[in-house]
Amino acid sequence: MSALTPTQDRMRIDARDKVLGRPLFAADIPLRGLLHAMTTPARIAKGRITAIDTMAAAAVPGVVRVFTHEDFADLRVTPATLGGNQPGFQPLTGTEIVFRGQPVALVVAATLEAATEAAELVEVTYEAAPFTATMDEPGAEPQPYETAVEAGDAAAAMASAEVTVDVEYRHPQNHHNPLEMISTTAHVEDGRLIVREGTQNTNALKFGTAGALGLDPQRVDAVSPYIGGGFGQKNVLQLQSVLVSRAAMALGRPVKLVMPRAQLFHTASHRPASRHRIRLGASRAGRISAAIYESDQENARYDHFLRSAHNEAVSRLYGIPNYLGRERLVRVDTNPPGHMRAPHEHPGSYAFESAVDELSYALGMDPLALRLANDAERDAISGKPFTSRTLAACLDRGAALFGWSERRAAPHSMVAEDGSLVGWGVASGAYKGTMCPCVARLRVQADGLTRLSVSGHEMGQGIRSAVGAELMELLPIRADRLEIRLGDTTAIDQHHTAGSWGTGGAVPAVRAVVGRFMAALTELGGPLRPGESVHTRLMALKRPVLEVEIEHLGTSQGPDALERMRRGGVAVVGPEYPDFVSFSWIAHFVEVRVEPTTRRIRVPRVVSVADCGRVMNRRTATSQVAGGVVWGIGAALREAAEIDPRYGFVLNNDLADYVVPVNADIGAITVDLLDIADPMLNASGVRGVGEVAMVGAAAAVANAVYHATGKRIRHLPIRIDDLL
Amino acid sequence: MHDDDRPPAFPLTRRDTLRAGSAVAAASVLPPLSSAAASTQSMPLEPGATTTITTVVNGEPITIAVDTRASLLDVLRERLALTGAKKGCDHGQCGACTVHVDGRRVAACLTLAAKVDGREVTTIEGLGEEAALHPMQQAFIDHDALQCGYCTPGQIMAAVACVREGNATSRERIRDAMSGNICRCGAYVGIVAAIEDAAAKMGQG
Ligand code: FES
Ligand code: FES
Repeated sequence: MSALTPTQDRMRIDARDKVLGRPLFAADIPLRGLLHAMTTPARIAKGRITAIDTMAAAAVPGVVRVFTHEDFADLRVTPATLGGNQPGFQPLTGTEIVFRGQPVALVVAATLEAATEAAELVEVTYEAAPFTATMDEPGAEPQPYETAVEAGDAAAAMASAEVTVDVEYRHPQNHHNPLEMISTTAHVEDGRLIVREGTQNTNALKFGTAGALGLDPQRVDAVSPYIGGGFGQKNVLQLQSVLVSRAAMALGRPVKLVMPRAQLFHTASHRPASRHRIRLGASRAGRISAAIYESDQENARYDHFLRSAHNEAVSRLYGIPNYLGRERLVRVDTNPPGHMRAPHEHPGSYAFESAVDELSYALGMDPLALRLANDAERDAISGKPFTSRTLAACLDRGAALFGWSERRAAPHSMVAEDGSLVGWGVASGAYKGTMCPCVARLRVQADGLTRLSVSGHEMGQGIRSAVGAELMELLPIRADRLEIRLGDTTAIDQHHTAGSWGTGGAVPAVRAVVGRFMAALTELGGPLRPGESVHTRLMALKRPVLEVEIEHLGTSQGPDALERMRRGGVAVVGPEYPDFVSFSWIAHFVEVRVEPTTRRIRVPRVVSVADCGRVMNRRTATSQVAGGVVWGIGAALREAAEIDPRYGFVLNNDLADYVVPVNADIGAITVDLLDIADPMLNASGVRGVGEVAMVGAAAAVANAVYHATGKRIRHLPIRIDDLL
Repeated sequence: MHDDDRPPAFPLTRRDTLRAGSAVAAASVLPPLSSAAASTQSMPLEPGATTTITTVVNGEPITIAVDTRASLLDVLRERLALTGAKKGCDHGQCGACTVHVDGRRVAACLTLAAKVDGREVTTIEGLGEEAALHPMQQAFIDHDALQCGYCTPGQIMAAVACVREGNATSRERIRDAMSGNICRCGAYVGIVAAIEDAAAKMGQG
């Protein structure tokens, strides 16, 4: 197999279709006899339903059926609904209300207009119970701390450190808001239940739906070839998914529900609010000897959302020999939080990299120099080597591209011509190098067609372009007739795509399937001659088609991983492997300008340099990093869910009030990728980039705001009123 | 698992069967409709109050009875199978549904379908063709001004209007004029570059 050389420049594989508006997202498929559904959300945060009157709703012309909990009592919650986090609660199966906005009725009608009108006419009577809306309210229930990371003796090292900082940061609740609202369309055809939903996890949709409805999973198909952004919100079986499937089965007609944006703020997952206390101890020369990091993360009353993992990545940023990371969850009455892009790494890096910045000022040291002075040779936590350790290279290259050497050290010392305060900030980021099992099937035809089916989902990150690139790098085929099938359980077995393991899982699997294909082809007629295409060879062999399939495991995984995947589960490995640890790295350099009178904060330019191993498609990877930076700017300066503790709901539950970055908020973003293959992690030398892109970006913005103004704001988002 | 242990494929209770009434048995996937006009023939009548409108969609004249409450976006998507325009909010807050009405950009979700009676509607499906992309479409490809592609039809329709309005004269103006179109994937840098590029080719840079 060929060496791990840089890949050719190629356009995004599905870009042409996308500019033509052609990809059919889940809500776009035209189905004969389609009915439209709409939900009625609960108007209390906790309690129970005492009565439901559906008369007025049912009387709306066009309404086919109003479903309530009496109709769906047979739905089960099963382990198969797992997909990272576990909803653990299926609405509409009983009278209990556990969060505001929980669906209490599902109206199905011939038109969307009729369904919408009727859903508003469902009359629900509740018996309300007391509740706790946020972790700052009385009644919030902290769980015991769990030790997440421990190395050396952090307490002793802290006590003897020459310089220390002890700071607390807060991160608000955020909402993913992928532009595609979550829709579910289900219908029965030829004895099969077919579910279409924009999901990063058709596997959970298939097995979860089957489990909830008591069906044989082999008779349920889940289809999600294009996803209008996921960011982790589309990780799991949604609360709405089985309701729509059950309704379609009951009515014998296709049913579609597009959950309105306002309801998604309550029915879909979110990034939970968190608090972070960080203590750092260093020598006067700037060597960090100790870190103690404790975090609280909000959680639902009945849901585990696994654990938090704020320490996992930041404990690897520097070579800190004495490290203690403790984390706990705080239970309140909310809908379940979930994974949102760099779920723990983003808030963790915001806090930790802000604290490192504070330490640099306490030491009177340049923040970049402090980071470079604490580079690590090996992982200080596990003692194992890194597959690749390139943070210093990212920092160096970023500093050169940004012009960091021109920076004046003192805060509040750089002023632009128009009087704006100028601030330059830096922060580092890391994200685990993960992998998952993957099945790949390659079919090449003499007539020029190639079809690659792979476990994986395309939500815009560019996995189609990444797997396509590996295939085209290795196999002389016609690029214009390449079809890539993803996110479809009828095409091939699927695994959840998230946590930046998509590329790490799928690209080496493609390399393996090409290896098997070449072996088969060579057996038939000897190796390909230079310049000979596979199609020509098949033609010469008078074989219309050659097809091979492989099962591929993540590095160090055993066959049980594949088994777990084939039962609907998740089987991920990394960042710790038996012989090494693996991370992707990034350095962000940010310039902010703060207007002297209004204190409006602008971000005219950002330079981000990342190392994600071998770059499969420079264009899509660059876009991923730029997108991650946009997310960092949004988190730093814009986004927060405003929760009304009296009513327990998100007040700003639309895109006008939950403010995400728009075009005018974003200036120049320069992205560079080191493009250094990581053959120790896998045969393709690849790691993920979608999550690391965001890690550290918000801290770099916050650090730049401090440098501009001399004000250290220890919560996000940083808004005008914080600087007045 | 033995065959005998298998759960029944589709357990329906007697109540389901009764209540479902005369529901149509099985659904089948329809091929995408090539002509908007042809599609109106087979669509069921709307159950609510309706009004009949005559409009031109992507160059094709059509007459259709629409629910008076229906948005242009829902009529395009649900009645005419023109699903290029997307729904990202249904409240005029995201721009995913941007189409042209008489050459001007509008949020189709905020436009009542009844309002386009006598007007011309252009959607992404009517902008360019596979063989002859609009310069803006080509520029979006060249600058990778998209990721998931969900906002893209709306971005491109807004971008073409932005150029025609004379708003593509600087990056700052483009950014302001395009701020009604959210890209949650964060492709803004590419979008601005694509518009600058296409504006020059459209002769209005
Ligand atoms: S769907 Fe019309 S603006 Fe968002
Ligand atoms: S490309 Fe995904 S929202 Fe713009």
